[in-house]
Amino acid sequence: MARYKMVVDLDRCQGCRACMEACKVENNTPAGVFWMYVFRFEQGEFPDTSISFLPRPCQHCNNAPCVKVCPTGARYKREDGLVLTDFERCIGCRYCEVACPYGVNYFNWRKPDHAFDDYKMDFSDPDLVAFTGGVVPPYRNPDHDVKHGPEGRLTSGSGHFKGVMEKCTFCVHRVEKGLVPACVDTCPVGALRFGDAEDENSPISVFIREHESFQLLEELGTDPSVIYVGGAPPSTESREIERPMTRV
Amino acid sequence: MTTATDTQLPQGIGRLSRGWIAFFLGAAVLFAFGIVGYIYEQGQGMVATGMRDLGAMQGATWGLYIAMVVYFIGVSFAGVTVAALIRLFDIEKLKGVARMAEVLTIVALVLGALAILVDLGQPLRGIVNLFRYGRPQSPFFGTFSLVVSGYLFASLVYLYVTSRPDAARLAQRPSRLQGLYRWIAAGWEDTPEQRAKDRRVTFWLAITILPLLVVAHSTLGFVFGLQVGRPGWFSTLQAPAFVTLAGVSGIGHIIVLAAIVATVLKAKDRIRLDAFIWLGRFLMVLLFVYLYFTIVELLTTMYQPTEHEKVLSDALLRGEYAWIFWGSLAGLAIPALMLAWMALTRHWRVSWLVVASILVNLAAIGKRYLIVVPSQTHGQLLPYGIGSYSPSWVEYAVVIGLFGLGALAIGAFMKLFPIIELEEGEA
Repeated sequence: MARYKMVVDLDRCQGCRACMEACKVENNTPAGVFWMYVFRFEQGEFPDTSISFLPRPCQHCNNAPCVKVCPTGARYKREDGLVLTDFERCIGCRYCEVACPYGVNYFNWRKPDHAFDDYKMDFSDPDLVAFTGGVVPPYRNPDHDVKHGPEGRLTSGSGHFKGVMEKCTFCVHRVEKGLVPACVDTCPVGALRFGDAEDENSPISVFIREHESFQLLEELGTDPSVIYVGGAPPSTESREIERPMTRV
Repeated sequence: MTTATDTQLPQGIGRLSRGWIAFFLGAAVLFAFGIVGYIYEQGQGMVATGMRDLGAMQGATWGLYIAMVVYFIGVSFAGVTVAALIRLFDIEKLKGVARMAEVLTIVALVLGALAILVDLGQPLRGIVNLFRYGRPQSPFFGTFSLVVSGYLFASLVYLYVTSRPDAARLAQRPSRLQGLYRWIAAGWEDTPEQRAKDRRVTFWLAITILPLLVVAHSTLGFVFGLQVGRPGWFSTLQAPAFVTLAGVSGIGHIIVLAAIVATVLKAKDRIRLDAFIWLGRFLMVLLFVYLYFTIVELLTTMYQPTEHEKVLSDALLRGEYAWIFWGSLAGLAIPALMLAWMALTRHWRVSWLVVASILVNLAAIGKRYLIVVPSQTHGQLLPYGIGSYSPSWVEYAVVIGLFGLGALAIGAFMKLFPIIELEEGEA
């Protein structure tokens, strides 16, 4: 059995947020929802300031607080390390969201169809056809309507039901096919790596061994599957430079 | 529709005066307001509430609803405690308030359960999946299984057992409700053996319910107290403080209800001043214990706070939440002093007790709100910005509707069954 981990190389990250965009396209997340989020913050006082970036996907903790508190077992940990949500079982109590110290959970506050109104484009629009040449992209990735993994539960993609919790899935639908998550695939500077950490000779295992690394909020004992290399954990001095202004 | 036979039922059962009709209509309007709010929420999705995601830096994902869940379940503390204390310690003077306390417990538990339900994104799944897939490892499971099921069931059994003798007595009178009383009495006969059996059953029920009560209210505290990732929640004091504040709001509620019942039913001879004094003293003790907990908690977090706890306590003490914090503290401290003054001078007045009880209940709602919300808006460990949350009209409507439903339920009970246990020879 594989044991998937993600490595974030903070020395390489340039804060371009392409991973956030790739995630939104891949998973059809509604406005104001960021399964992958890149913090842009600064430290210090003017003129002695420094800027740093910190991509924050779901940490897929090995001792996940969200899995512990879920009253119905809709949030669960797979043997391969992925922490997933069964969208058909979740009752929408949002306990996972308050239990998670990383703030990675996003609730479907609206009916999914309404949530997508903002970017449902009319592809028959002549102006658009001039660009697309008549090619119509799938409005929803069909992979998201299939049940994944040996457990056979509906776990990938966003916007299935209203009143249900969703979060980063490590792109389970891609991982099942042997692909890496969309954010990893997109990153233009190779700051994100993904792979099987159980295999000692896999590139990611070697990379983790050869570099100094840390996990976010290690002191809480959640043991995340996302490993940060280079840079430093955000301190209490870190201030966000910009934050999303969208309101769900 | 008043017939000659109906007038023979005690405590105004089965008769509706104009005042009562106005009361029922008023409560029904409030309840309907809540229903409208909830239907709107279900139509729109929970976007109709003021709650939003933590990760989107938009405030709190648990809000007024969860604060009210905690509050309502807290109120339920009153009934069974009072009832159990009466049986265990033979406190005769409290007999007059025993049944209304039990009714209050049951109504408050049902309201608490409904408040959980309105907070769920998928309420129907909530009902089904909690049975199908319930996980005892989740503190939330304890809220459902222990509080809402175990505790509610035990309270219903308790109410039933203690109601049978009265029902049997009322069933002997011809009235429109005779069938109902006969059904509740279920063949109860006034024999020494039956009375001894009832005493035994209620005694053992009381003994079982008291620990269940502590466990149940603690479980609710654990919902918050076990979360290491949220400043202000992770605390050993959370569970005992929950039990104590539950007692404060519960006993406060029962004092108000007893005062209203005594006035409306002109039953001051049945609910005598010494019952109020006993409740007042109990409330005073609980209040001082809770204030002690509050001070200990404040001192622990403020003496050498981590950066995250400092942000939170700043928001509480002089920031966004200061008015609720100091208002609630005043709402606890002033009644505590009032009660202490009355206890020291031995000059008790029901009106003062009622004022103190209303104040502590408002303060309890404030404190519950402060437990739930600030740790989310100001308690992020990663450098997310500060969020803000204020309830939307839908949330206020639903909460008001729940209060309306509670008033309807207690009012309806008063019109169907004696809310004060009947005395020998009455009816």
